[in-house]
Amino acid sequence: MQRFLDPAVLAGISSLDLLAKTVVDGFVAGLHRSPDFGFSQEFAEYRAYVPGDDLRHVDWNLFARTERCYLKRYRGETNSQLVILLDASNSMQYTSGPPKKMDYARFIAASLFYLAIRNQRDAAGLIVFDDEVREYVRPSTRVGQLARLFAGLEQAEPRARTDFGKPLQHFQQLLHRRGIAIVISDFYEEPEKIVHAIEPLRFHGNDVVLFHILDPEEIRPVLKGPALLVDLETDQEIEVIPEYTKTTYRAKMEAHIEQLRSRTRATGMDYRLLVTDQPLDEALREYLTLRQAGN
Amino acid sequence: MGFLAPWFLGGLAALGVPVFVHLLRKHVTIPRPVSSLMFFERGTQSSTRHRRLRYLLLFALRFALLLLVVLAFADPFVRRPAADVNGHLMLIVLDDSFSMRAGTRFADAKQQALATLAAKPHSQRAQMMALGGQFVVLTQAITDEGQLRSALESIRSGDGHANFGELGRSIRALSETERGPIDLHLFSDMQRTAMPGNFADMVLPANVTLVLHAVAKGSAPPNWTIESVSAPAELADPKDPKRSRVQAVVAGFGTPAAEKTVSLVVNGKAIATRNVSVPANGRATVQFAPIDVGYGFNRCELRIEGGGDSFPADDRSVFVIRRSDPERVLFVHAANDARSGLYFGAALGAATQASFVLQSVTADQTTDLDPSKYAFVVLSDAVTLPSIFEHTLAQYVSKGGSVLIALGTGAGHHTRIPLWGGDVKDAHDYVRSGGAATVGQVDFTHPALEQAQPARDNGGWAETKIFYAAVVDPGQARVAARLGDGTPLLLDRQIGEGHVLLLTSGLENLTNDLPLHPVFVAFVDKAARYLSGSERLSGSRLVDSFVQLRSGGEPVGEVANVEVIDPDGRRPLSLNEARTVQTFRLRRAGFYQIRFANGRDAVIGVNPDRRESDLESIAPDVQQLWNGSKGEASIQTAAAGDDAKYRPVSLWWYVMLLALIVAVAETVVASGYMGTQREDA
Repeated sequence: MQRFLDPAVLAGISSLDLLAKTVVDGFVAGLHRSPDFGFSQEFAEYRAYVPGDDLRHVDWNLFARTERCYLKRYRGETNSQLVILLDASNSMQYTSGPPKKMDYARFIAASLFYLAIRNQRDAAGLIVFDDEVREYVRPSTRVGQLARLFAGLEQAEPRARTDFGKPLQHFQQLLHRRGIAIVISDFYEEPEKIVHAIEPLRFHGNDVVLFHILDPEEIRPVLKGPALLVDLETDQEIEVIPEYTKTTYRAKMEAHIEQLRSRTRATGMDYRLLVTDQPLDEALREYLTLRQAGN
Repeated sequence: MGFLAPWFLGGLAALGVPVFVHLLRKHVTIPRPVSSLMFFERGTQSSTRHRRLRYLLLFALRFALLLLVVLAFADPFVRRPAADVNGHLMLIVLDDSFSMRAGTRFADAKQQALATLAAKPHSQRAQMMALGGQFVVLTQAITDEGQLRSALESIRSGDGHANFGELGRSIRALSETERGPIDLHLFSDMQRTAMPGNFADMVLPANVTLVLHAVAKGSAPPNWTIESVSAPAELADPKDPKRSRVQAVVAGFGTPAAEKTVSLVVNGKAIATRNVSVPANGRATVQFAPIDVGYGFNRCELRIEGGGDSFPADDRSVFVIRRSDPERVLFVHAANDARSGLYFGAALGAATQASFVLQSVTADQTTDLDPSKYAFVVLSDAVTLPSIFEHTLAQYVSKGGSVLIALGTGAGHHTRIPLWGGDVKDAHDYVRSGGAATVGQVDFTHPALEQAQPARDNGGWAETKIFYAAVVDPGQARVAARLGDGTPLLLDRQIGEGHVLLLTSGLENLTNDLPLHPVFVAFVDKAARYLSGSERLSGSRLVDSFVQLRSGGEPVGEVANVEVIDPDGRRPLSLNEARTVQTFRLRRAGFYQIRFANGRDAVIGVNPDRRESDLESIAPDVQQLWNGSKGEASIQTAAAGDDAKYRPVSLWWYVMLLALIVAVAETVVASGYMGTQREDA
């Protein structure tokens, strides 16, 4: 279990605050700033009274001085909810060298869980899926939640093939509250379909982030000679020559990544390409820094 | 090299393993998993081609590896000169005698010698020698292969007569200074006639190992030659039936009976042709007479027309006939001596090789005579001469004239010998002592007594009886003949440029019976030619004979140059040599043109020794006896001789080292390939 809590990784992450881009509804005030205004103590602004407003929010002191009726508004602080959707299809077990993509995804998920629960006091949940939802850990802040999440990650062994469409309806049923939804996958699907499948999460007010996990060999495959390639998900075999992988394949892969990036951002989601040979903490730090700067 | 070790044949089967693996076994491609084939497309044709190329390289390395391992088991070896030969001196003796011109003998011998030299270890010393008419040392004992090779290549086939006896003597002399082991490689046709009369002359010292490289294989090829030519060197009257004739002996060695045509060529023009039937392996005489030649030197050649044998170089024989008027001989005798002139004149007239006219005078009549007008002067018991004539005669001799002095009974009364420079010490009257003396020692190499093969009767001299002989101190004179009691009978002394021949007995039949024997005619003939100098001026010589160009005494006054023009038209003597050299060796066959120090010109025909024409090789058992009777391994063949000189050097380690290198290369290539397979996996 502790292999997901690599201190070196956590040391790099714990120096940063996880600030959710989207403020969701919550009960416990925390560090996260909510986009909604509520009853917190931090003043935000004055707004002119309009009929129907709750008179409890009128600043009577100001009314006494100016005889104008203004409502006093405060920035609400609340706990966020982090849900990680982890792709556990067979393609995730590909590797050209340690770690596997699946392991890399587990590391990222575990780090984020730890960060969210121990540092941010956020609720965290996990959905493991391939062509259907295989594991679901409800978001919670209860004691032992981190262990459950880790156990869910532990049991998430790759199998079957990816299908974003089928488990989508389950995602919507499972995510009741708004928060941060992180989808970790290698996204071997048409970008259009991926975005179409994930976009509904955004409609619920979630801040959706796509972590695109790829092995370096998947981006720039190296073949010293002709090779017989077999698809890990479909077991289909084809013979490929090195010349193709050096030219056409790379162009196609780059186009796929670029298309995925542009499509996701066009729909208000974030996209991050993580290559398994990059340091894990660096990838998270970069992402968190980016999130912080975005707010 | 040797490869036929038992493991070799068995190990060869292992070569089938890589053949099976690379060429017969089906290739199994391990699929390489990928996340998705979403972006891949199929490509097949080039992949097969690339794979085969890669496999063939690996196959070649594996095949080479197994082959080398098999070779290592076979224990290959090369023959290298034995390690201990570095201490040996390699003597390479190349026979360049005349018989080596037959066929390709000389070229073969030189090639074999070069091969032997090339196989010599760098550190081994070698010495190059040529065995022709003379044993010539071309280099010192050195290790410089370039110098040795150039010395070997500089040897040209000569015209001389090889003599293994001389080889043995030279090697024995060499072994006096070279104490270490010597490997003597003799490249020769092993001609039988090159053997000396005494086999002991050929025996080599104990530290010399003889390796024979015989270039003449099988039986000797048939060969006809002009064995000998009898022709007058001087000819006064071409119509003289006694002298104006040329006789030649045509000999066949290992030949069948044949009809041969012999031509006489004079100054390049064939003037007569004769057919002669030569019996099988025999001889036939052909005669040309009379000979019509012009005045002066006539370069003559007898030639067997048509060839038909394997050795055409010996089908000709050259000689020179000088036609001149008869030369006069001054015969000075005592007043009371009439016989000596008679006998001497008769013998001189019977001589066939030269033409002389004898002018007899008494000693008293010589006062006004000029000796320089005579070919030579004979003083027969004329011990008392007019002083003016004696003085003139002394000058005549010092300038190159020659005198024959015969001491008859008159010498007993006058102890002084004119011109000789010595006195008569005593006189032996053998008649008084009850008998006669015989000729004990005869130097047949002296021109006046020269006989190539003297008969058992001491060349005819044993029959002669000497009744009276004067005793003369020889001093520095050369004693050409001695009596049985040691008394000098014939002495030769050089005075100035001339010679004085002293016969301590008389020329009449009173003091000896020499004039009554046939040997007297030959003696007078040869002595006359020797004294007149005509012996040197024309006729023929054998290759490697010497011509005396000037006297051996100290030059008096202005030094006269000699001049020699060889058959190729070149002057072999340098200017310095032309002023100092006394003798000249006739190395080449053909016509030599010579000008002596005394100003006389000569043209000499030089022929190879006809013993070279007999191409019969030494019997194998004799060769075996010569090279130490070391059994069949050392007989005849150089290869067998090489076995003793070379040792097998195993290449096992080198082959294994090479196999290791190939194994490393195979590992690298295979690792690259297997690495690709792992990546695929």
